[in-house]
Amino acid sequence: MHEFSVTKSLVDLCNEEAGRNNIEDVKKIHLKVGKFTGFSPDSIRFYFEHLKVNTRCRHASIVFEEIAIRIKCSNCCKDHTIEDPVLLCPACGSDRIELMSGREFYVASIEGE
Amino acid sequence: MKRIKILKPVLVSNQQRARENRTFFDRMGSLVINIIASPGAGKTSFITNLVKRMKNIHRILVVEGDIKGQIDSEIISKLGIDVIQINTATECHLDAFMTAQILPKIRKRYDLILVENVGNLVCPAEFEIGEDYKLAILSTPEGHDKPLKYPLLFHLSRVVVINKCDLLPYVDFSIDSAKKNIRKENPKALIFEVSAKTGEGFGEVIAQVEKEINAGKKKSQH
Ligand SMILES: Nc1nc2c(ncn2[C@@H]2O[C@H](COP(=O)(O)OP(=O)(O)OP(=O)(O)O)[C@@H](O)[C@H]2O)c(=O)[nH]1
Ligand SMILES: [Mg+2]
Ligand SMILES: [Zn+2]
Repeated sequence: MHEFSVTKSLVDLCNEEAGRNNIEDVKKIHLKVGKFTGFSPDSIRFYFEHLKVNTRCRHASIVFEEIAIRIKCSNCCKDHTIEDPVLLCPACGSDRIELMSGREFYVASIEGE
Repeated sequence: MKRIKILKPVLVSNQQRARENRTFFDRMGSLVINIIASPGAGKTSFITNLVKRMKNIHRILVVEGDIKGQIDSEIISKLGIDVIQINTATECHLDAFMTAQILPKIRKRYDLILVENVGNLVCPAEFEIGEDYKLAILSTPEGHDKPLKYPLLFHLSRVVVINKCDLLPYVDFSIDSAKKNIRKENPKALIFEVSAKTGEGFGEVIAQVEKEINAGKKKSQH
């Protein structure tokens, strides 16, 4: 559900940045999405098709780039990539861990002319 | 064709607005708690318990976020304190912009602002509103696996309240498993066990909130 307002922010941000950089026709939006966020690429794509109409993004498609969840354990001093957001060290079980990545949600770049 | 590096968070405008709201609340010296839980977990009942026990010592404002209606606001106003209703219409969460719209209505200094977010475990977690921290409520009939199914909220909440503990004899809910699951997402979470029906456990919650209000006051005096 909240993907509607999120996608609205995405379209606004891309139009603003396209304007600033004299891009009239955006072709691609490279979006980085951490695996520890609540955003569904499918719903974003769905709303995007409606929201892009009559904007600089009208011909654009979104390229999703997923970012893995990485944690650093201060007990065994190792980095781990984990599948599920269970914030325990998979090696030693310690909960003294720091989240290094996985919460990202940003526009990396846009392409267009 | 050109490619331009942007490197900006999609929710940059919400985050900026949240920071501005936060500055406003800090200047007013208010502790702001963003209360998030599923529908019916006991957000309004939890707030009622806090208000009843704290309203004689502190100036409290309650902000009620609902998709529609003002049932919860009416319950809170009966307690004799100020309430502001936000109706989100189609949105399943409060965001920083909706919160910004009520700032002009805040004309007094409040020590404590309790915000009841829209009943939902997913969406409200992503949108900062300018709060000091998020407080998640998990009620025992929902099951102790919820922190693992909705990890983000529990990861981001400084305080997790387990509510409806009076129902423990009747539901398959293990406090130990719940705590373990919460800690898997958030090792530093402060966890409280309460019953908003009997009032049990609220002493500890209030002691914590008091501590935070006083710490904030000291900060704003410097
Ligand atoms: N037995 C028991 N019932 C409770 C407790 N806390 C709340 N309830 C009941 O649970 C129901 C929902 O409580 P509310 O406080 O309205 O829950 P809410 O999260 O504000 O609900 P929404 O605003 O509709 O999402 C009500 O019937 C309450 O009386 C509790 O600790 N024990
Ligand atoms: Mg309620
Ligand atoms: Zn380890």
